[in-house]
Amino acid sequence: METVIEVKNLRREYVTRRGIWKREKRVVKAVDGISFAVRRGEIFGLLGQNGAGKTTTIKMLTTLLAPTEGTCKVLGWNTFGEEKRIRARINFIFGGELGIYRRLSAWDNLRYFSNLYLIPRREQDAHIQKILELVDLAERADDLAETYSKGMLQRLQIARGLINDPEILFMDEPTVGLDPVGARMLRDIIRRLKEQGKTVLVTTHNLAEVEELCDRLVIINKGKVVARGTPAEIKGGAETLEDAYVKLIEGVNV
Amino acid sequence: MSLAVLLSTMRVQMKQSFARSMFRFCLIANPILNTILLYEMYRSSGEENFMAYVVLGAGLMGLWSCICFSSAGDINRERYSGTLALIFAAPASFPAIILGKIIGNTLMSLLTLGISLVTAVVLYQIPLTLNSPLYFLLALAAAILTFVVISSVIACLLTLSRKTELYMNCIEIPIILLCGFVFPVSVLPGAVQVLSRALSPTYAVELLRMAVWGVEDPMMFWQKLGILLGITVLYAVLSALLYCKIDRRVRIAATLEVA
Repeated sequence: METVIEVKNLRREYVTRRGIWKREKRVVKAVDGISFAVRRGEIFGLLGQNGAGKTTTIKMLTTLLAPTEGTCKVLGWNTFGEEKRIRARINFIFGGELGIYRRLSAWDNLRYFSNLYLIPRREQDAHIQKILELVDLAERADDLAETYSKGMLQRLQIARGLINDPEILFMDEPTVGLDPVGARMLRDIIRRLKEQGKTVLVTTHNLAEVEELCDRLVIINKGKVVARGTPAEIKGGAETLEDAYVKLIEGVNV
Repeated sequence: MSLAVLLSTMRVQMKQSFARSMFRFCLIANPILNTILLYEMYRSSGEENFMAYVVLGAGLMGLWSCICFSSAGDINRERYSGTLALIFAAPASFPAIILGKIIGNTLMSLLTLGISLVTAVVLYQIPLTLNSPLYFLLALAAAILTFVVISSVIACLLTLSRKTELYMNCIEIPIILLCGFVFPVSVLPGAVQVLSRALSPTYAVELLRMAVWGVEDPMMFWQKLGILLGITVLYAVLSALLYCKIDRRVRIAATLEVA
């Protein structure tokens, strides 16, 4: 099966400087030589503790951040330097309530992002309506987003992420703060995307979700890959995936 | 550059800006208060046409404040609301999106000139004369163009840094002073005037004021307009170069989002 995401020895360092006269340079290695590949149509999990490097990795994959070193390719193109070939074919959803124009309605938000994704005007209305129904926001479509609950804002984020019918959808902790109904709805959407042949790369702390959804995953800790495989392979002899995960992370941190 | 992107961004920007109370203050209250302040300052100055320094001055101050706190501040608002990364990574060209925002804001901010005029007429019934209306319209169009281009340079630079609020506060008053919004640049020390002459709004303000007083020497008007457009073209080239650079730079420096 075709590889759509290729990451090889990927590194990303953040450089900060402190002080006024004698500037002290501090380098933080957020991602430290990770490698993995994702095949078309897979649901791929990226797991790790807070600060493990998951979000940095997703940002490099979604063309938002330049790698310091290594290969970072999406759909065969480098995410830094060839990003124009990628952007119309992918989308991303970052968890939480950000990434929405709160003083616009859901409809206006989606209309605007349709324009930014260069979707022809004649296709916009039907597509926006379909997505709003999918995330169960059709009835509140004309209300300002600032009047929405946290869960509704996240559902609007999901709708925005689907606006260009992406081949690959990157999701960074998409269920954070979602109520159980909203989280289930999201899982259903992810499954439906897989049925349509889409690829989904998801980061989450919810290991039951990983077990339920992911075909394969990698676990990263302190910027390095510490385990990879299917959920069953990672679980091994442990009772739950959570037990296996904790053991892996503790083993590395000792 | 897609027209749909430009127009939809202008529309979104106008809706968003007007929904903010700070923008409404800059747009409506600021020119009223500035007109009162400037009228009191100029009342006994011997100047008879209050259009030149009171109405125009207050209107331009309001316009510039709106530009500073909106066109520039919007980058920061987008950054903190997590939408800067989204618009940056969208297939539409980032400069087109920023340009749409700036044009939307600038057009809406022109209201400050009207509010200042109405304030002067209603509160003080002072003599206001516009002696060369056609030249005024021409100067106004050139002023709008130069403000749009300057905003574009500022917005571009602010995309590179997270200290946006500090910078936009730092540029507001100095530009008002350096470009002679409320007094002639000739009253400034000679060395400072050199700086004023490098800033295109200086010429825009002088052209507007010439039109208010009446253009007696059309050659001088065209000469100043030529300089204004020349500097504006230079700014536009600088802006285009900067946008080419920032596309790589912001992703290396990781300034699209807050940590």
